[in-house]
Amino acid sequence: MDAQLRKSIAEEAAEYRPMLYRMALIQLKNADAAEDATQETLLAAVEKAVTFEARSSLRTWLFAILRFKILDIMRDQSKSRKFNSPLPTDDRGIDDYETGAFDVLFDTNGCWLDAKDPWTNPQTVAEQEAFFKVLEACMTRLPARTSRAFLMREWLELEPSEICAKLGISHGNLRILLYRARMQLRLCLDLNWERT
Amino acid sequence: MADPLSCKETTWLVSEARERALSSEERQNLAEHIATCTFCQGASRQFEVLFKEIDNYLGNSRSEKAAQK
Ligand SMILES: [Zn+2]
Repeated sequence: MDAQLRKSIAEEAAEYRPMLYRMALIQLKNADAAEDATQETLLAAVEKAVTFEARSSLRTWLFAILRFKILDIMRDQSKSRKFNSPLPTDDRGIDDYETGAFDVLFDTNGCWLDAKDPWTNPQTVAEQEAFFKVLEACMTRLPARTSRAFLMREWLELEPSEICAKLGISHGNLRILLYRARMQLRLCLDLNWERT
Repeated sequence: MADPLSCKETTWLVSEARERALSSEERQNLAEHIATCTFCQGASRQFEVLFKEIDNYLGNSRSEKAAQK
């Protein structure tokens, strides 16, 4: 019984490996470290298979395990101080901190150029999975720094001051990165999500 | 009375509201603009759906709070 549960969790969890790896890579910025964190997450999932409650989704459970691993790694890194330094300059184009990229959506008075279809939340499991698929693809397409800041806030749930310290940016810059992430995700979903 | 908001400024406040509680003036300006602008009614509905599904997808504490209600 137990062995069978572990086996089925292992098989199902493996499907999430690519996304877990991408989420880890965005935060850790290092392929080996991201691979290790992914592997450890999958192993921990199998190890703790009996504690998995079927009413929560396997994806959110895996994300929660990975989240703790990444927070741990970040804590160690800030102790050893190696990683606290801002990213190399080539990753921080000045564009990162401008909201101007979205000006094309508005006229010169700042009015939307076209009407917006009022979305409704996905209702069925199939609709939700379809939405999540597009959301994943859209998140993966965010610029590296934008997605890192965005997921530090929305997934790791770090305080803005912690994120600013880790990324070596001002509070104003962080607000712009978060704004850009949200604007970009809305636009990407609007273009790619096939509503029923 | 502050100047009325533009749609662009409205999107900024909608994002800001995820980070902090808006001031009562900001909330009022936002509500007034959205009440009269059908484009922003659509856009803010889209952001509402987007934010809720981001929470569900990531399984963060906001989604747990919503589930408890
Ligand atoms: Zn408007």
